[in-house]
Amino acid sequence: MEKIEPFGEGFVLALAPEFVLVIGLFTLMIVPNLGDAKFRIPMTQVRIPWFFGGKRGKLDSDPRLPGLFATVFFSLAFLLTAVSFVNGMNRTQIVSGDNVMLQVDEFSRMFELIFFGALALASAASVNRIPATSRNDRSASGLYNNRRQVDFYVLLMTSGLGMAVVALAQDLFLLFIGLELASFSTYVLVAFMKETKEGTEAGMKYFIVGSVASGVGLYGLSLLYLWSGSLQFSELATAFAENGMESLPLIALGMLLVGFGFKVSAAPFHFAAPDAYAGATAPVAGVLATASKAMGVLGLLRVLLIVASPEATDGAAVWLVALAVLSVVTMTWGNLAALGSTNPKRMLAYSSVAHAGYMMAAIAAIGALNWETDHVDLSNDAALVVVTALIFHLTVLVCFKLGAFLVLSLLESEKGGHTLESLGGLAKRDPFLAVAMFIFMMSLAGVPPLSGFVSKLLVIMGIVKVALLDVTVSNDLALADLHWVWYLALAMVINSAISVFYYLRVGLVMYFHEPEEGREGPLPAGGPVRLAILACLVTTVFFGVGAGQLIALAESAANALVGAW
Amino acid sequence: MTTDWISLPLVGMPLISSIVLLAYVAYVSPAAREKIGPTVRMATLVLSLLMLVLTTAMFFGDNYIEGTLDWASLSFGSFNYEFQYDWIESLGIHWSVGMDALSFPMVWLTTFLLPITIVATWHEKNAAVYFPLVLMMGGALIGVFVALDLFMFYVFWELTLIPMFFLILKWGGYDRKYASQKFFIYTFTASVIMLLGLVTVYFLQPENLAHAGTWTGRTFDIPTLTAHAQSANAGGEWFLGVGLQKVLFVMLMIGFLVKLPSVPFHTWLPDAHVQAPTGGSMLLAGVMLKMGAYGMFRLPLALFPHAAEHFQFWLLALGMVSLVWGAVVCLGQTNLKKMVAYSSVSHMGVILIGIATMQPLGWAAALFMMFAHGIISPMLFAVCGAFKHHYHSMEIGAMRGMAKHSPWLATSMMFGWMASLGLPLLAGFVAELMMFLALWHFIAAEGWSVLWMVGPAFVLAITAAYYLWSMQRTIFEGGEATQPPASLNGQPVPDITDAEKWAMVIMAAFTILFGVMPWIALDMMNGWTVAFFETLLIPILTGGA
Repeated sequence: MEKIEPFGEGFVLALAPEFVLVIGLFTLMIVPNLGDAKFRIPMTQVRIPWFFGGKRGKLDSDPRLPGLFATVFFSLAFLLTAVSFVNGMNRTQIVSGDNVMLQVDEFSRMFELIFFGALALASAASVNRIPATSRNDRSASGLYNNRRQVDFYVLLMTSGLGMAVVALAQDLFLLFIGLELASFSTYVLVAFMKETKEGTEAGMKYFIVGSVASGVGLYGLSLLYLWSGSLQFSELATAFAENGMESLPLIALGMLLVGFGFKVSAAPFHFAAPDAYAGATAPVAGVLATASKAMGVLGLLRVLLIVASPEATDGAAVWLVALAVLSVVTMTWGNLAALGSTNPKRMLAYSSVAHAGYMMAAIAAIGALNWETDHVDLSNDAALVVVTALIFHLTVLVCFKLGAFLVLSLLESEKGGHTLESLGGLAKRDPFLAVAMFIFMMSLAGVPPLSGFVSKLLVIMGIVKVALLDVTVSNDLALADLHWVWYLALAMVINSAISVFYYLRVGLVMYFHEPEEGREGPLPAGGPVRLAILACLVTTVFFGVGAGQLIALAESAANALVGAW
Repeated sequence: MTTDWISLPLVGMPLISSIVLLAYVAYVSPAAREKIGPTVRMATLVLSLLMLVLTTAMFFGDNYIEGTLDWASLSFGSFNYEFQYDWIESLGIHWSVGMDALSFPMVWLTTFLLPITIVATWHEKNAAVYFPLVLMMGGALIGVFVALDLFMFYVFWELTLIPMFFLILKWGGYDRKYASQKFFIYTFTASVIMLLGLVTVYFLQPENLAHAGTWTGRTFDIPTLTAHAQSANAGGEWFLGVGLQKVLFVMLMIGFLVKLPSVPFHTWLPDAHVQAPTGGSMLLAGVMLKMGAYGMFRLPLALFPHAAEHFQFWLLALGMVSLVWGAVVCLGQTNLKKMVAYSSVSHMGVILIGIATMQPLGWAAALFMMFAHGIISPMLFAVCGAFKHHYHSMEIGAMRGMAKHSPWLATSMMFGWMASLGLPLLAGFVAELMMFLALWHFIAAEGWSVLWMVGPAFVLAITAAYYLWSMQRTIFEGGEATQPPASLNGQPVPDITDAEKWAMVIMAAFTILFGVMPWIALDMMNGWTVAFFETLLIPILTGGA
């Protein structure tokens, strides 16, 4: 493992994707403000071209420009991240003295792929979305609208940067800073449609619940610091392994769970999610459901598997039962609530809660592993399967969940998308969108051969593998000999059967119902959105039929995490 | 064998060509869509006929296709046209195809029914979308039967739902929304439970069997698993242990019993059938139900014979209840299609009883019933469809005196009804007779009360009763006063179209063919059954004697 001091040799290269985002951030702030302004040197008549302000040019005052810039920079960051996988990952640590701050490995890079991919798609989809006045509009409100474009994408970029920090962080404090950077950006993004009642309400609720959750998490963090004197993952893990059963770290752990539980929208911390998703623009909701959720899962994995490592205790992890119960409650609650929601965005929000439940079930299964010395190899194997399944799931979630939100975003641009009925007759109005939406729904439900099925299968396989780890096949084997986490898999399959109801309903409305009054015509064109939807569609199918490559990639990422303990 | 005759010609081609056709149809304008309908229809017909030619050549085996083994003498666990490609290597998932005498009749049946369905529903509206969906359905169904890999099997198992869902949804009756949803949810729920069972089996197998995944060390390969289970079950041992084998058997059976369907999981079937369009019903009854029985033979019975023996009574009871209940409910139906649907439930009961007897004869009866019902029931639904199409009603009393006004339809109906109630010399009779013999055998051997025979015997009478009664009310009775039906608004009573006539004649001809010469299909079924019993069941269940 290479160690680099901040701004030491190779620092910029090691963090190239992140620096691309930083450059992008400045570009976004500067370029749309360029004009023909001149600066007069005081006391003289000499005017030097200054470029900031004044009358802006045709190109840099184009309201589409920030969106395109953001898309390009996110794509660039995505590509750079992807390139780092080619020829083997160059694992690097950014250290400050003895403290490891950031670590570049397959695991963090994989999550960055998820983040940047989702954000690139979302920003591409937003290009036509925000009310933009014509670029010839020189009035104050025109300028204002144009500036708002910049605000929106700047916030997307900072959230991306925050997520990247979360992925890289090796220090709990740094992790929290990244989390807060991303969170605060998303609070504003959710409230971005401040002219509408829903937008304001959503932003308010999301902010209040979110900041309370963050506060609780931060308090847990401070308790951990009080207890061990360090927030380094490695040191925390050592301290936890020695005397993690004391009450102080356990309380702290519980509080951290609340903080991350909100991010993954696990019950009972999910109440703000449906409102937030419904009030935000669809691409932002899509980011919340995919990238932001992946960030929460990442945090959970780091805290539960590295800090409060299951290895700390013989037999099952301390948090096993709590997490298992939470996961079943979350998936069931999410699915039942989704059954009753008529707003497609709320429905997708609840389905996202259900998916959080599935993922927590998988994490709980890791907690059930036994880490006694003679068992470590077996357990490592099983944990690898589960973490791979999780990473695979989070990756393909970007394809179909974000894809579904993007379809809704096209409906939103004709003021629809808030009721299921506004999807009516979509099959007639726009066959491509209807087919795409139907495939996304089927993938969410887990119908083969789509990627949603493979991801669900992998999660089930991971849980079952854990449940069967200590089973020796003999003639007396009975169901009771399986570890009880097997029932988590059962809960999961029953839940995914329930979920078919509401996913199918979307298909029924699109193919069966007549279009609403005034919605008979074709949908707005929106080239970039459609391109993004097409990308989601292709990957949804591709990662289902040809899952092998992505599984291998996810496995290498999981190896980086599991190998680390 | 050097050529893969299955993957591309029988599975890939229908799926890919239907997707291409659908994409093209979605691309053109709605006006052009109407225009290209006949061309699309002809294209699907030609493609399906090509498939039929291929499977028929496969039947005649090595006269036409090199290296084919004789179907009837294939040993247990060996397959014709076997091919395997890597798919997801790390998990031990392969694209693995092959056919034995269990799957081949089903594959042939599917390719036989595809062109028949297309012809019988020649005038279906929105043809440019309908016919590719039928073709896609065919490809997915064949995929289920030829899959020799659990993952692939499950993928195709679920894939069949999607075209059928759309067939019911877009071309169905007034309550199609409810029916298609119920159909999808019922079968999906059952199959996810089955999926958990399959994954559990996957991880309970020992590591590094043949075709194992590079990462998990386990395999989804069905022949490998079967062979392993066979050795693990031997000598009084239970593969995976007594308790767990029972649980897993039940989990797998839930998936298959819902599909079959057996009472009490049958309620989706009448709804789906009544609302489905004729073509959907024909494929649903003809092939899709058989997926359930096929799956039972392929997986739970081969993997968990001990559990099958343990639950023998319950299987028999379920079969008996399906048989009797289905028939009794038929008596009360006023809707023609619902009656036929319930008669399907009743006939699926025959299959279940045949399986439950655990006798070679019973299994051969079940296999033959799968095949015979696969030819007869599409004819019944084609008749129902024609009835609905021409008289705009499905009520039994809507049209009376049909024999006089629509002789073709009346004859087809009468023939179909007779075949279904088990008239000798028609295909259905053979299967029913064999089932009776097997059941009798079983009862005698186990020393059970002869009362067990009462139900099935009684059902014969009920079946005859509801069929004859409905015929009396549609074909014969009436006279001038009660017809033509009011729904025709005084127009002359039409007979069926030429396309429908062709379909009926072909189905009737094959019903007679397999009734008079059942050995054409029965030989290979018998061979498969005997091989299964001799190699797998008898050594295991009798403790290796």
